[in-house]
This record gives sequence, structure tokens and C-alpha cells, in this order.
Amino acid sequence: MQGAAVPMPAPAAARAGKGLSERVLNALYILTFATVLLLVLVPLSALIYGSFRTSAPGSPGEWTLQNYANLASGGVVTTVWTTLWIGLVSAAICIVIGTALALVIHRTDFRHKSLMTALIGLAFYFPSFIVAMAWIILGAPGGIINAIVGDLLGLDFLRTDIYSALGIVYVTVLHQVPFVYLTVRGPIIGMDATYEEAALAAGARPATVIRRVTLPLLAYSIASSFILVFILTIEQFAIPALIGIPGQVNMLATQLYLLCRFSPVDYGLAAAIGLALSAITGAAIWAQRRVTRAGRLTTITGKAGRVKPIPLGRWKWAANLFCFGFIFLALLLPMLILLYTSVLRWFTANPFNGMYTLRNYAFIWESGSTLRSFWNTLLVSGVGAVFGVLLGLMCAYFTLRVRPKGHRWLDFVTVLPFGVPGIVLGLGLLWAYAFLPLPLYGTIAVIIIAFVTRFLPYATETVGGQMVQVDRSLEEAAWVSGANRLRAALRIMLPIISPSIQSAYFLLFMAFFREISSAILLYSANTQVISISIWAFFEQANWGLASALSVVATLIIFGSLVVIGRLAPAGRRF
Amino acid sequence: MGISVSRLSKAYGTVLAVNEISFEIGDGEFVSLLGPSGCGKTTTLRCIAGLEDATGGEIRIGERLVSAPAQNLLVPAHERQIGMVFQSYAVWPHMTVRDNVGFPLSVRGMGAAQARTEVEDALRVVGLAELAGRHPSQLSGGQQQRVALARAIVGSPRVLLFDEPLSNLDAKLREGMRGEIRRLQRRLGIAAVYVTHDREEALSMSDRVIVMDHGRIVQIGTPQDLYRRPASRFVADFVGKVTFVALHRDDAAGPWLCPDGTPIALASTAQGGTRALAAIRPEDIRVQPGEPAGDAAADGANRFAGTIAEAHYTGPVTEYLIEAAGGVIRTHAQIDLEPGARVTLSIPPDRIVLLPPD
Ligand SMILES: Nc1ncnc2c1ncn2[C@@H]1O[C@H](COP(=O)(O)OP(=O)(O)OP(=O)(O)O)[C@@H](O)[C@H]1O
Ligand SMILES: [Mg+2]
Repeated sequence: MQGAAVPMPAPAAARAGKGLSERVLNALYILTFATVLLLVLVPLSALIYGSFRTSAPGSPGEWTLQNYANLASGGVVTTVWTTLWIGLVSAAICIVIGTALALVIHRTDFRHKSLMTALIGLAFYFPSFIVAMAWIILGAPGGIINAIVGDLLGLDFLRTDIYSALGIVYVTVLHQVPFVYLTVRGPIIGMDATYEEAALAAGARPATVIRRVTLPLLAYSIASSFILVFILTIEQFAIPALIGIPGQVNMLATQLYLLCRFSPVDYGLAAAIGLALSAITGAAIWAQRRVTRAGRLTTITGKAGRVKPIPLGRWKWAANLFCFGFIFLALLLPMLILLYTSVLRWFTANPFNGMYTLRNYAFIWESGSTLRSFWNTLLVSGVGAVFGVLLGLMCAYFTLRVRPKGHRWLDFVTVLPFGVPGIVLGLGLLWAYAFLPLPLYGTIAVIIIAFVTRFLPYATETVGGQMVQVDRSLEEAAWVSGANRLRAALRIMLPIISPSIQSAYFLLFMAFFREISSAILLYSANTQVISISIWAFFEQANWGLASALSVVATLIIFGSLVVIGRLAPAGRRF
Repeated sequence: MGISVSRLSKAYGTVLAVNEISFEIGDGEFVSLLGPSGCGKTTTLRCIAGLEDATGGEIRIGERLVSAPAQNLLVPAHERQIGMVFQSYAVWPHMTVRDNVGFPLSVRGMGAAQARTEVEDALRVVGLAELAGRHPSQLSGGQQQRVALARAIVGSPRVLLFDEPLSNLDAKLREGMRGEIRRLQRRLGIAAVYVTHDREEALSMSDRVIVMDHGRIVQIGTPQDLYRRPASRFVADFVGKVTFVALHRDDAAGPWLCPDGTPIALASTAQGGTRALAAIRPEDIRVQPGEPAGDAAADGANRFAGTIAEAHYTGPVTEYLIEAAGGVIRTHAQIDLEPGARVTLSIPPDRIVLLPPD
């Protein structure tokens, strides 16, 4: 065998005389790097540029610092405070409920473990704007709750108004609790059971064990989950837009939206706000990484816990009420309400007065624009996610395995979108495509670009997470067997990490399907996706049509979950 | 006081991990549970601790009935007043050494001042008084094990339970800790159950050893009993190195013969029938170079002519596998011999244990 057949380690690979495989890999690296740079840096720099301009994107204007000065104006400062407290309060409540759910499900003899886990999984994928819509139908001044407690029972003091800051918190909590559950469940299940058993043996009652051993051991996971929920809450768009705008409660994301869409329009201030919001989320992400790294010390062992479940005894009813009550509020009730609204001719809170019809569903089928939005969604989610996963795969492979010159920069740029809220990214692209000589504005491509950019870190992280676990020697064994780098990557690495590629695709597909925030500033009549269509119908107070579309979208999401559930075990061979 | 286990069973679904075992442990007695992996030692211990719910039988700690599933009685672990040391130490990483050791006292509501002195005492006993303020991540494995030990003894437990507490330590440290655990237990004067699969540990530490296999007890006895008078081939094999020689005889009163027909003299005549198994420990066999000389030895030992098949030098002794009496006999000797050499083996009749045939 020739020496050249066994590639040298990465640094030497830059030398002359490399084989075809090296050249192909190099070209791929440059391509990946360039794509990621364009995707991430173009909107960001456009945003920074915009924040120093006096005018709207594309129109002549002047340089200015006024936008940053305006950040200190009363309106913006109030918005910042509202954003922060809504974020903190929501995250705190989510943590309490989500951790309690996980403890009840995985530490007690709660009976309906697998059912509950499945339902929370569904709730996790249930789009936030759909939950928000359903709760608006329920809790708006003219909504169902008020019709019942006020008009029917005469209990006027129970009248509610969802269009308030607390309404935002409430729906956010319903939407984010499954996320908390999913992030703390792993640590709870993986925790070395003997820590808790030692406490039991030492004479501590189960409640004391939870308080003094289990929860402190989970502290880092809980803190990290808290920060993540905080980030998700302050950067979210759909819930504060649907609930907050009518109630005149502004969060940074919605204020940015209002500045771009309603007069007085001020794109420059919007850009400055976007950067401020990114600074907050960026700082929070940095804190979260610190917490995670500090927490990696102990407690998780490979062996599954054997710890005896805590008997609920006479508290069984409370556990059931808590778990199923949550699912009822977060999943079942919204679904029922949407079903109900979707078959009404005119909205009424009293089902006995209702005139029922299927015309909303018929309309979906007959309307060209709705069908087109389905088609667009299929294109964006189905095909767009392929690009996203491919790019994530490349980024992970180059930053983790090949590590050519500059891979640290690639790594850094790849994770940047984590810190950029969706609507801020949308605004950046708006600024960018007003200048770039690319005929992209108003095309479906720009939607795909926005989504791929926004979720690139998720794809990279998912694939990379499995890639780092693959022992280097597996690839090295292929090299010494005579395979070049490219071949080893294709024949060894790719099959081994294929489960994570599947999950990354699924993750991106679902995320693209539900995404509103980064598309809301970019869509045009021709490039609507389902989520945006639902949004638009609801904004036009066409609750029936919005509900019917939501029902269909939810069915598609849950249907894909079932399909994936069936397919996934096949991918878990390794 | 002590522990009394009667007809204890534990089933996981259809798997019977522990199958109707009974034993008594006296106050101040140190008893080991010994057996191969998966024989149910840990399960038995965890049933005593209350970390696992037994499915049958009864367990008493002292006078108190703590487990009787038939009467729907299962006292939870935290009410059994036990001290337990885990294989993985289970020293809580978010608490200092002092807090770890003080935990059993604080959850039982002891006042801070009194708890503090007791913690200091316990830490002094295990030799960790200076490290009280440290976190577990700043301790070595052996030190963590001492913390676990201090934590187990501090709450004046009624029994001490150990699940392979030394198996994560290196050999040298392990031997030191054996003595230390034994000393502590003697001081407290309470019953101790010690799970291990290391026969040396079990023999050297215990007052009595319980040998388990497939969820059942196969023999209970002092270490000497088990080693010198095993009741079965399994026990003989499990507690030490041994050679088995299949014996036969023509009628139930005749002399026992080796596979090659050589007669063998035995001290015990307990075994009836025409087939039996002789168990011989390597150190009970004397090896001398050369053919057996002259007539039978004056001491009445059995003599066999043999050829060395294999020799493994281990330092203190050389282990020889010797072809003799129609089989291969394992023995130790301090003399140096080459494979192929002819030797004479002498085995005193009272060192040969007669066991039922397979
Ligand atoms: N949670 C469980 N579910 C099902 N079977 C179990 C469970 N725990 C233990 N077993 C089975 O019960 C038997 C006894 O297990 P146990 O842990 O008591 O063995 P052990 O004697 O302690 O072994 P080792 O020396 O390997 O620790 C084993 O066959 C094991 O597979
Ligand atoms: Mg065990």
C-alpha cells in the first residue's frame, strides 16, 4: 500500500500533493463556511447597519445615533421591563410545574406514566399560536369563559380578560412547561439512584429526600432549564402578539413588529431594539452555558435508577388532577375549542345556539391561496429542512472531526443564531435584501433562508451530539484499512450517526412547520405558509377559518409524530 | 436485637431473585452474604433495608417486624433505623463532608449542637476530622468511602448493611478498610450484613458466612466450616481453590477408588453409595520430587505418583497441575520443579472432604 493512501492528521492536510478526497473535502469546507457566513453575518450586519440609519430599508437616509438614544425613551424602557418580568415570572412558574410533573411521573408510583409522557410530548409540539388562539376564544372579554361565568351565572367578579400581561404569562406557561419537563426528565431518570437511597437509609422521609437530595442534585439542570425558558419567553413572538397587542402590553419582539408594520414606522429603532433583545438573549445563553458546564461534575451515571417509587397513597387524586389538569388546559381544551369554533357558522359561546357548518373546511379545500400555503409549507418544511440538516451535518463534521484551519470561527458563527430572536432575524433579512442585488425578496427562498439560519444551531447540535460520541478509532480503523477521509466519512461516520440525522430532520421539520416569528416580516401573499395563514385569518377576526386550518395543521403535526415514532426505532440500532 | 429473616422471597415479575431464604443474625454478629453475580445478595440486603419491597416471608430487625407482605406490612426504609454503605459510596456531591455525615441526625430532628459533636466524633473515628469542610469532589475514593462509613454509623443504627463497599477501592486500601469496618462494628456491637462476592473478604471479616446461589442459601457457617467442611461441590469451589476427584467403589462397604483404580483412604465415612466426590485443597497436598519410596508412609497419608503438567510461578508459591490418580490435581509448593518431572503427592486422609457425586 502507498503511504499516500493513509491521510495525515488535519494540520498536515493543507500541504501540497493531497489526494482527490482531500480536495473534495476542502471544497466542501469552503462551501460550508461561505454559506454559513452568508446566512448568519449578512442579516446581522444589515441589522447593525440599519440601526444607524434614519430611514426604512432601501430608501435613502442618513447616518444617525438617534435610534440608540431612543432606546432610552420611556416607551422602550417600559417594554424592556415588561419583557424581563414576563420572562422571569413565566420561567419561574414553568420550572415549578415542569419539575413537579417530572417528579410525579418519574419518582412516584403514578400509574399513567407512559400515557402522560406521550401527552406531554404532543403538548410540546402543539404550536404556541394555536394555544394562544384557543385561549383567546376562551378568555377574551367576549369569549366563552365570560359568557359562562358572567352572562350565564352572573358571577361578574370572575370575568376575565386574557388580553393582559398575565394572559401572556398564562399561555406561555401552558406552552413552555412541556419543554421544562423534557429537559429535567433526563437528569431525573439518569440520576444515580443510590444518592436517594442513601438518604432513605439515613432515615429521611421521601418528601425530605426530594427536598434535600433530589432537588439540590438537579439544581444545575433546573437552573439551565430556567434560563432557556426565559430566553424562549422573551424572544417569542406569537403569544405576545396575539394577546399583548390587543391588550397594549408590549414585549420587545412585538414592539419591533409594530415599529415595522404600523405607523409611525421606524425601522431604525426596530433594528436597535432587535440588537438590544439579541444582547439580552446572548447574555442569557452565555450564562446557561456556564451553568451547564459547572453542572457537568457529578450525579449522572449510566446505570438506570432502581430507586423504589414513592407511594402516592391518598394523594393519588391530587397527582392525577395535577397531571391531567395540566394536559387538559394545555392540550385538550384548546383542541376542543378549536374544533368547536371551526364548525360554527358564526361564533357563539353557547353550543346550543350554534349553527354548525363544514364550510370552513370546504373553504380550505377550495381556496387557491390556502392550498398554496399548504404547498409552500410542504416545500419549506420538507425541502428546507433537508438543507438545514445538510448544513448542520457539514458544520458538525468540520468543527468536530476534520478541524481544518478556521474551524473555531465556523463553530462560533454557527451558534450565533441561538442568540438572535426570530423576528430580529427577519428584520435583519429585510434590511439585507433591500440592498443585496439578489431577486430574493418576496420569494419562498427567503423564507427557507430565514428558517435554516434560525435553526442551524439546533441541527448542528443534534448531529454533533452524537458525532462526539463516536470513537475516533472507528474512522481511524477505516483509514488504516485503506479508505480515504471522504470514504471513511461516508461509509463509517454517516451510517453510525444516521439516527441523529433523522432526529435533526424531524426537529427542523416540526420547527419550520410551526415557525411564525422569523417569517412574519418576510412573507408576501405568494409565500404564505400555513402558520402565517392561520395567523392572518385570526388577525382578520376570521376565527372559524383560523380554527379549521389549525385543526388540520395539528392533525398533520400529530400524524407526523406518529409516523416518526414508528420509524425512529429502526434508526436506533447503534 | 439482631436480624431475623424467614422464608424471604423477592420476585421481579416471573424472576425469583430471592427464593424463600431464612437466617438469623445475632446482636454484634458480622455476617457476610457471599455468592456469584446475580445470586440475589444485593436483593436480600435491599429487602432488609427496605429499599426493595419483599414479596414474601418476614424480616425482623431487633424485635420489630419490618417486612411481612402477607400481612401487608412493609415499614419504609427511613423508619427502619439502619446504617448502610453503598458500593458507589453515594456521598452527596452537593453537601460538605460534615453535612453528609450530619444528615441522618438532622432528618431525625437532633439539635444542631449535639449533632455537631456526634458528627465530629464519627469523623474522628474514621480519621477524617480535618476534612470536615470539604466537598466530596475534593476527596479520594477511599476518603469518600470513609465518609459513607461515618454517615452509616452516626445515627445510632440498629443494624449495619454493606453492599460491596470495598469493590471500588484498590487492593491495598481494601485490606486496610476491612479491618477498620470490623473494628467499628465491634465498637457499636450491632448486627452487620456484608454483601460481597470476594471470598477472601468474606472469610477474613465474618463471624459467619452465608453462601447463596440462584436465590437460595446453599450453606451457612463460620469461615472455617465453609472452607474445611463445605457441604457441596459449589461451596467448596466458591470459597477457595480446590481439586475434585471422582471416586467410586464396588459396593457400599468397600474402599473408595480413584478414577485410575488407586485406593484412597478417607477419615470420613459419611457418604453412602458407590459414587462420591473428593475435594482436596491445594495447600493440603505435599509435593516431593521423585517416585513414592518404599512402603506406606508412617503418618498414614495417601501417596500418589504423578507427573507435573503445568507450573505457574506466583511468588510465594508455585502452583502445579499434576497428573495423578487418573486426573489432574491442583497443588501449591515452594520447591521449583519443571513440567514433566515425576513427583510424589501425599494427602492426609482427614484433609479430604467427601461430597455427594454430581
Ligand atoms: N429490578 C430488577 N428487575 C428484574 N430483575 C432483577 C432486578 N434486580 C435484580 N434482578 C435480578 O435478580 C437477581 C439477583 O440480583 P442481585 O442484584 O441481588 O444480584 P447480586 O447477587 O447482588 O449480584 P452482583 O454480585 O452481580 O451484584 C439477578 O438475576 C437479577 O437479574
Ligand atoms: Mg450486588
